[in-house]
This record gives sequence, C-alpha cells and structure tokens, in this order.
Amino acid sequence: MNRQKLLPYLLLLPSLIYLLLFFAYPMLESLQLAFRREGQYLAVRAEPNDTAAVVGTLAMQTDVAVLGRERLEETLPNGRTRPFYWFQIEGTDAAGQTVQGWASQRDLFIESRTESETARVVNGQSTQEWTLEYVQRMLSDYRFGSALGTTILLIVLIIPLQFILAIIMALVLQARIRGSSLFLYIFAIPLGISDLASGILWYSIFTQRGFLNSFLVGTGLLESPFIFIRVGNESWMILAIVLAEVWRATSIVMIIVVSGLQALPSDYVEAGQVFGANLWQRLRYIILPLLKPSLQVALILRTILAFQVFAVVVAIAGREVLSVLANETYRWYDPQRYNSPNMAAVYAGFIMLLSLGISLFYLRAVRSQEEAANRL
Amino acid sequence: MTESTYSPGLGSAAPPVRVKQMSRRRAKLRQNVRRASVYVVAIAIAIWILLPIWLIMTMAFSTSDAVRAFPKSFLPDPISFNNMQFFLNSEGVLRSTLNSVIVAVLALVISTLLAVPAGYAIARFVFRGRDAIRLGILSVRAFPIVVLAVPLAVVFIRLGMYDQAYSLAMMHAALTLPTTILVVASVFMSLPYEFEEAAQVFGCTRLQAFWRVVLPLAVPGIAAAAVLTFVLSWNEVFAAILLTITNRTLPAQILYNLDKSSDPFKFAGGFFMLVPSLIFIFFIRRYLFNLWGQLNK
Repeated sequence: MNRQKLLPYLLLLPSLIYLLLFFAYPMLESLQLAFRREGQYLAVRAEPNDTAAVVGTLAMQTDVAVLGRERLEETLPNGRTRPFYWFQIEGTDAAGQTVQGWASQRDLFIESRTESETARVVNGQSTQEWTLEYVQRMLSDYRFGSALGTTILLIVLIIPLQFILAIIMALVLQARIRGSSLFLYIFAIPLGISDLASGILWYSIFTQRGFLNSFLVGTGLLESPFIFIRVGNESWMILAIVLAEVWRATSIVMIIVVSGLQALPSDYVEAGQVFGANLWQRLRYIILPLLKPSLQVALILRTILAFQVFAVVVAIAGREVLSVLANETYRWYDPQRYNSPNMAAVYAGFIMLLSLGISLFYLRAVRSQEEAANRL
Repeated sequence: MTESTYSPGLGSAAPPVRVKQMSRRRAKLRQNVRRASVYVVAIAIAIWILLPIWLIMTMAFSTSDAVRAFPKSFLPDPISFNNMQFFLNSEGVLRSTLNSVIVAVLALVISTLLAVPAGYAIARFVFRGRDAIRLGILSVRAFPIVVLAVPLAVVFIRLGMYDQAYSLAMMHAALTLPTTILVVASVFMSLPYEFEEAAQVFGCTRLQAFWRVVLPLAVPGIAAAAVLTFVLSWNEVFAAILLTITNRTLPAQILYNLDKSSDPFKFAGGFFMLVPSLIFIFFIRRYLFNLWGQLNK
C-alpha cells in the first residue's frame, strides 16, 4: 500500500534529479562565476613563521625588495636538517599600498637566498572573494551598449511582426480552403530550420552577389549591385536579420495560435457574425481577447528566445560589425580570444535578468488588463 | 441556402434565411471574393516561405562556379552535385555531421527514457505536489540556453567531460526534457485508463498492463516528441559551440568557420543542415497541433 503511494514519486525522480542537476546547479555555478574572483595571493606575515598574523597580500609575479632574511632549519624525514629561509620583503599590493612583512622561500623566486636584494612572488593561496568587478567591466565595455541596443531593437521589430503574421497564417488555415493540409505542411516547414540555416539562407539573398541583387540588376532596377551588408549599412543588416527571424520563427507562434483558435467556442464568433460584425471587428473584439492566454504564453516564450538571438546575426552580419548580447557572451567565453568565463557568465546572467523582467512585465500587464475589465 | 465551405471558426458565410434574390447573389459574390482572397493570401505566404528554400537549393545543386557567378539565376544551370561534393569533402564536415547525429540520437534516447516514466506518473496518478511539479517543469522550459551553457562548460572542464558527444547530448536532453515530459503526459492522458484496468482484470500486473497495452498505443505520440528532440539537438548551435572544440557538431563547425568560408561552402552547408528538418517535420506534422494543444492543459 505504501509502495503504491510512492510510485509516482519514484517514476518522477530520475527526471527531477536530472533537471535539478542541469538547471539548478549551473545557475548556482553561474552566480559564482559572475560574482566571484578567483585569485592567488601571497599572505605576507608579521613574523617569519607560518602561524604569524597576516599583514597584507601580494599578487603573483609581484617584484619585491628583500630587506632582511632569517635562516631557520627544517628537518627532513631522514633526520638531517637543511636551511630554510624566510625573507622580510616589501612590495606593492593590488590596491597600491605598500606591504612589508615576512614570506618563506617556498613562495618566492629568488636568485640567491643569501645575497639577493630582490625577489618575485610566485606562490600563494587560492582565494575567492565576492566582487562586482565583472559586472562593472560589462557595463563599461564599449560594445555593451550597442549589443544591448541591437538586441532590443531586433526584439521590438521581430515580435510584433511575427505575431501579426502568425495570426494571419492561423486564420488562413482555419478557413479550411481546399488544400489546407498542404498549406499546413508548408507553413510548418520553418519549424525545423535552425537559426543558423535561416541566417545563411537570407545571407544568400542579401549578399553582394546574392539573389536580391541578381533580381535588381537583372531586371534593370539597379545599375550595379548594392552592397547591403557592410559597415555603415546597419539598417539593411537589421532588416535582413528581422526578415530571417520572422521567416523562421513565425511557424512556432502560428501553431500556438491555431491550437488556441481550435479551442475557441464557435458560438461567440458566429454571434458576432449574426450581429453584423465584419472580420476586423470580429477579430478585435471576440477572437483576440479569447486568444489572450495562448498569446501570452507564446509571447513570453518567444521573447525569451529572442533575447538569445545569435547565429542569425553572425551568419548575416558577421561577429564584429553588429553584435548582440549572446554574441558578446560567446566572445568573452571563446578560449581563443578573451577566455573569460566570468565575463561570459555576467552577460548570460544579464540576458536572464532581462528575460525574467520581460516575463513579469507581460504577466503583470495582462493581469492588470483583466482587473480593469473585471471592474467594468 | 448557399453551401459554405468555411468552418465555423471564421464565421459561417451562410446568410440569414429571409433574403431577396439579389442579396443572395451579392452575398455569394462576397463569399467568392472572400474565398479567393484567402487563397491569394495563402499562396503569397506559401511563396514567402518556399522561396528562400528554393533559392538555397539551387545553390546547393549547382557547381561552385555557378554559386560565385553574378547575377545568379533562379534555376540551377547546370544541375550538378559539384558544390555539394565540395562541401561534404571539406575538412571536418563529415566528421561533424556524424557528431551531430550521435549527439542528437543520444539526446533523444536520454530524453525519452527519462520522460516516459515521468509523463506516465503525471498522467495516471494524483499525488501531492503534482501541480507544483507541472508548473515547475513548465517554467524550466523558459530557461535561456545561454545562461546554462557557460557554467556547464566550466563544470564539464572541471569534471573532464568537456568536448565530448555525450556531455553535449546530456545538455540537449536537459533542454528538451521538460517539453518531452509534458507531451508524453498528455499522450498518456488521452488514452483511457480502461485499457490498463481491463488488462489488470485479466491478470496483468500494473507493469505488464503498461508495457503491453498502453505503451504501444502511446508510441506514435512519444515518437513525435522524440523526433522533436532530435531536430532540436541537430539545430542547436550556441551550446554546441561552447561545449565542443575538437568534436564539433555540424552547426558549430559551420558557425565557427563562417567568416573564413566561401559562399559555395556556406550555401551548401545551409541546405544540408535543413534537409533533415524538412523530412522530419513532414512526418510529424499531424502531431504538431496536438503537441501544443495538449501542452497547455
């Protein structure tokens, strides 16, 4: 009897553990990457022994002056002893302060233990400290503003277009004209197309020797090819990207809208028809309000995905000229360039923040509309 | 009464009964015009969708020289596999394609194996926390991939799992798992429990009833969800480019070399990437609306 009760939990357990592992754990790790700096610092001590108080820390590779030395003895396992030196050093730490204290020969690179006047810090302890350094670096990065602006611009252009087109496509399918199932397949084709492939497709249209130019020059509308994709023609590039994304991702929204439409009770719409409402009025006052829940979910999901737009931009505009937030994330992560997972994590976290903010905004906006409607 | 070929969805065009002859003819004209305009819109959208695919297909099946030519013709002339061969023989392409297939299949397997029991549990049992778990799974779907990929890359490096097909596959499975669970749950929910009950009356254990009766009926829906996982994994590029270096998947390979690639290479690659998707979506198109409609329940 007890086992029966546990059964659903047992069935769910592998999936839940898996999800926890792959979502919750990376989230925590991401916070750590974004806000913690890992470094190695040498703890400079007040006295020449390991238990003395720490008077300051020095970064690796800091050059220090040797002010004095103390020769101690360390005992080897076989009973013999050998000299072990501590050095009184003075150097500048990361904040520019002078640090003076003792460090052992373990942690310094020194040419001659008995005679040298200078040494270099080569060893220390790993430390982790919370820092806003990465966030500050992101905010002050020269590409941050334009990446953010481009991302938002794309979203503002793409999403409304997509939803309008998706509603049109859904209504067309709903009309059940002959050949509807063929149109269904055609309209659903872009579902399986990746953003990279879509970017390449539209690149082939807009590139200098591409199809758009072929058409324009071939029909005589232009003398010579117009270079759509180059520095200075950012608007054309944005247009190409918007077209590519609308082309690719509208089918997803269309499917949602169709399912929503199918669930609509037909009486309402027919009543509107009987009372003389034309198509536009029926759409605006009956269909769209009833579709609102579906549209809301679709809007949230699509916007979150849109904040991560990446491959389309790279395929059409390259990585340097036009950047978006996801591209910056990759740029910072790339082992061959900046190789900083910390900065990448901050950018990713920023994307996450924006996504969360937008979702909350959508939810609240719809809720307040409902409240206003209920009050009437 | 005129016959209407419209579904009630858009509002029936049948006019009220007591109308004069002229109004009826005018109404019929209006109806035909409306139907014609729907056709026009439908065809326009269909062309909008199909044209880029056609264009890239001409590039894929031309010679490399024809790809570089200008102006480009809208028909491949001559039709040749030259460019496609050039692409497939390029360094790293076949290997990364194989990697893509391996990763996608692994992701499919992991995702399906985890989702089937979970979906069954959600569908068939009423237990405390059920709604909370469903809500949790739904909200996990909305998680940005970008946020996951960076820390996972770091963790994988630390664990020595970096740059392996199976680790990328695990991540893809994690991304598609929420959707798959919910789809499988709705598939099971649409199958009446009476079948299993009957089987149990005839002496099956619960497990046998599941295995022999319900599961075979659920296979088409589960297969559709599995295919979606495959397509998603095949197309996924951001996590792939972060998590693989020597064992790149196809999108990662193409994206990484994009600025150094020639146009013929890019176009053939683009076409090659979307062919599996075209095929798979064709097979599961009927399930698409079911999948979404049930996800919302």
